Amino acid sequence: MKRWNIYTPEGVQDILFDQCRMKRRLENGLRQLFTSYGYIEMETPTIEFYDAFGGELGLIRQESMYKFCDAKGRLLVLRPDMTIPIARAVATKVRDELLPLKCCYIGNTFCFDELGGGKQNEFTQAGVEILGIHSPEADAEVIAMAVKAVKSCGIEEFQIDIGQVDFFKGIMEKTGLPAGEVEEIREGIDRKDFVAVEQVMNRHKVSGDLKELILDLPRLFGNRDILSGISREPIGEKASAALDYLQKVLDILEDRGLARYVSVDLGMVQSLNYYTGIVFRGYTYGVGFHILSGGRYDGLVSKFGKDCPATGFSMGINMIMMALERQNRVRDEKREGILVTYEEGARKFADAYCEKAVENGIVAELDIGLGGLDACLRYARAKGLGKVVLFRADGCSEEFERGAGL
Amino acid sequence: MRYITIALSKGRLAELSISLLEGAGLDCSELKENSRKLIFTDERNKVRFFLAKPADVPVYVEYGAADIGIVGKDTLLEEGRDLYEVLNLGFSKCRMCVAGPKELEGKMDSVTITRVATKYPEIARTYFRHKRRESVEIIRLSGSVELAPLVGLSEVIVDLVETGRTLSENGLVVLDTIADISARMVVNRVSMKMENERIGKLIEAVRRQLE
Repeated sequence: MKRWNIYTPEGVQDILFDQCRMKRRLENGLRQLFTSYGYIEMETPTIEFYDAFGGELGLIRQESMYKFCDAKGRLLVLRPDMTIPIARAVATKVRDELLPLKCCYIGNTFCFDELGGGKQNEFTQAGVEILGIHSPEADAEVIAMAVKAVKSCGIEEFQIDIGQVDFFKGIMEKTGLPAGEVEEIREGIDRKDFVAVEQVMNRHKVSGDLKELILDLPRLFGNRDILSGISREPIGEKASAALDYLQKVLDILEDRGLARYVSVDLGMVQSLNYYTGIVFRGYTYGVGFHILSGGRYDGLVSKFGKDCPATGFSMGINMIMMALERQNRVRDEKREGILVTYEEGARKFADAYCEKAVENGIVAELDIGLGGLDACLRYARAKGLGKVVLFRADGCSEEFERGAGL
Repeated sequence: MRYITIALSKGRLAELSISLLEGAGLDCSELKENSRKLIFTDERNKVRFFLAKPADVPVYVEYGAADIGIVGKDTLLEEGRDLYEVLNLGFSKCRMCVAGPKELEGKMDSVTITRVATKYPEIARTYFRHKRRESVEIIRLSGSVELAPLVGLSEVIVDLVETGRTLSENGLVVLDTIADISARMVVNRVSMKMENERIGKLIEAVRRQLE
């Protein structure tokens, strides 16, 4: 029999020392950022009922969830997503007078083969959600927070690509094509596969202008100028309103000085089936996957029993770390601090010194029986500490600093 | 300026891909030299190339290790990677087919198929699951798939058919076509956005040659 005790399961990883310190610094920075802009942090359980994601709701594919049973034989999952549990919590636990609600979260999610984690099965997501309001200002606010979040992690070159799901839906309603065909067109556009889109379109009679626009959809991305070229006449009311909404969001982002981070892609029609309006994704150099994604999900909260529009985004911390590494932007996070050791009878002096140092914000470690001054100096060197302080029985102390005895 | 990295499929596809890229204004001379180098560079255009096994090309592109790839549609269908599939290059044309003994011709809907031999397990599985709504046993082989029905390993096979000669010489016929296959240009989803201008130009230059 093979023994697995020394391995970790597929897709999960230990995050050690320097990397963990860097991860916590990013997380703390993001928490600080979100709360400074008025978002209230919340936490939902790591395990949830399967029914909140799969089954009748069908929000997440069955194959991508870790499943197990509770004591009553009910199916549980490790949460594959942070937004759905928040929607559940808000629908069931938040009273109307508290809406709109701006909340944020940082937590681990679990998914088999999920791209958001860069092929990891456990990954940390940080994000914000605004619930209970449907306005271009709220959508722009969420995108602005996404921009600030990426910047706060130390990434300078990135792009937030904005799409509008309702534009595609509106156009498809106008064509009157059956659902199966619409799905095939959506897949083609999502892959920017002109040939596939054309093949489906050639099977049907669709008016010239509309057909041309649909064939053009895989190409309709870049800066916002592409929007002005779209003729409003053939596309119908819904798609036209969707474009106006997108324009408003872009105007707000321009006023907020964020236009240079923003681009548009009307062919962004990924199959995240809970999005209903504005959608977006963030990209940077060095990683082949998006580092964040978000959008409006007005229909999601109602699946848990309360009508409530909502929008939000989530960012993959592991992806951000990969990007920082590949862009050579990893800050040198050298440990600083002192080690306090003592001869017999001097423990109380050493302890008092240590406590005082910690009070003053200095990292200080009390000797835990390392075995003499030489061993202490070795330990300090190995751990990157800058100073060793030795207390003698009479209360006098001697210091060994980097470059001087250490 | 950053390098744009292009992954090419080793073998037949490579030569055709190289002439297409040269036609689009890239300098592939390093690539055509016989050397042991793995990565070739066009310094003027800041483009790097490498050759990889066809099945690996979509993997390199999905992870962003290559920005662009040239690979057959058969490999894309089998690998199921999340990519932009921007151009049908039109060459290396063939069909992905279900084939079997002549007796089965026209009877695909009435007989129950239980075993399918193929080099393309994902394509076969998807086809039988979604198009035929059947659960079949997929037997993965690495070559000479035509042998399987002849020696009773499986009832039918799923394989690429170019002229159909190997099939007919062994008494097999095409029972159904799953997909038309040809070479495609694929682009990483992030690269397409971060390097929109340069990659867009390259796609356009290649497209012009196909007209």
